[in-house]
Amino acid sequence: MTILRYGFLLLSVMISPPLLAGEALHPLADKPLAADFNLPDMDGKRHRLADYRGKVVVLNFWATWCPPCREELPSMEKAHRLLAGEDVRIVAINVGEGADTVFTFTADYPMSYDVLLDTDSSVIRQYPVIGLPTTLIIDPRGRIVYRAVGSRDWADAGLLKTLRKLLRP
Amino acid sequence: MRNNVFFRRPLSFLLCLCLPAALPAQVETGTDDNAQLPYWQWQSEGMSIRWIQRLPDQTRAFFSARQFRAEDAERIAQRCVFQTIYKNTAPATADTVITYDLADWRILPRGKDASQGIYSKEAWLALWQQRQVPAAARIAFEWSLLPSRHRLLAGDYNWGMITFGLKPGARFDLHIVWQKDGETKTATIPAMQCALDVHPQPASSE
Repeated sequence: MTILRYGFLLLSVMISPPLLAGEALHPLADKPLAADFNLPDMDGKRHRLADYRGKVVVLNFWATWCPPCREELPSMEKAHRLLAGEDVRIVAINVGEGADTVFTFTADYPMSYDVLLDTDSSVIRQYPVIGLPTTLIIDPRGRIVYRAVGSRDWADAGLLKTLRKLLRP
Repeated sequence: MRNNVFFRRPLSFLLCLCLPAALPAQVETGTDDNAQLPYWQWQSEGMSIRWIQRLPDQTRAFFSARQFRAEDAERIAQRCVFQTIYKNTAPATADTVITYDLADWRILPRGKDASQGIYSKEAWLALWQQRQVPAAARIAFEWSLLPSRHRLLAGDYNWGMITFGLKPGARFDLHIVWQKDGETKTATIPAMQCALDVHPQPASSE
């Protein structure tokens, strides 16, 4: 029994640090207001950030050629399903690519949440983003409250809890 | 079994597991699992950087597919491109901040006395402007290169290409500079090598 206990403890020590490191969301102290945008999706339907007001928005900037962007997409899709019926929306803004490229890509990487196209990169330049992927969490009042640079496991229970907590401040 | 020191002193055992984190920084080299190309990796003090060779052919293909003219894709391909993964590896609960500015990095080509800076993203973008490269190509270029400077918090990481400005096959030492919690650190990665301009063929099934 003791061996099992130490074994479990040992396993925790070995596994925990990388998992913790992967799921970090960093709070933005000044909580700047997120800039509104008006972008088309792959069908040409336009979406504004203001359309999501009152909800938590997970705003993900990505590109099809970016390996860590691809890495986190399955967990984002899973999170989208886990959050169904709740006021949390995942919105993925593709940077610099066309509808055909993104549509073809979604055959391999299903994305059933909103995917918008920032073909001229004018929207990403209005946000505190330096590299891809970067994900910003916007609270129901339209303020950017968290930032993550690099991929994360968006279906992680702790991370989902953080998002849900923003619904009842 | 219960006489084993690790089971009599579990704390000692756990401390042993933590020891590798306290070892001096090391340069590791090998073949990257995904790219199947050589890599060099620096890992120390809550930070890791991996540079993975990119074949000139990969670079030509990548940029040609993104509206670069063949001659411009060739310019990039001939400047020693590495895929770079820059991570702040501190645990999520840590306040560790890593900052860098690629303008501080120096390259010492093998057999030369003078070092040089890396070929910066800004220099490329100015060239593309001058050569009237299409906007879509410039956007793809800008976002596919490693940011010139960045601030990485615990768990953050970035991928991106770096162009060292050397010819295919050139050997060099890389001197890197970064700040950890405001304190400047340096390291040298010896004997790196740009990928050769080779055209690998699919393995024959016969």
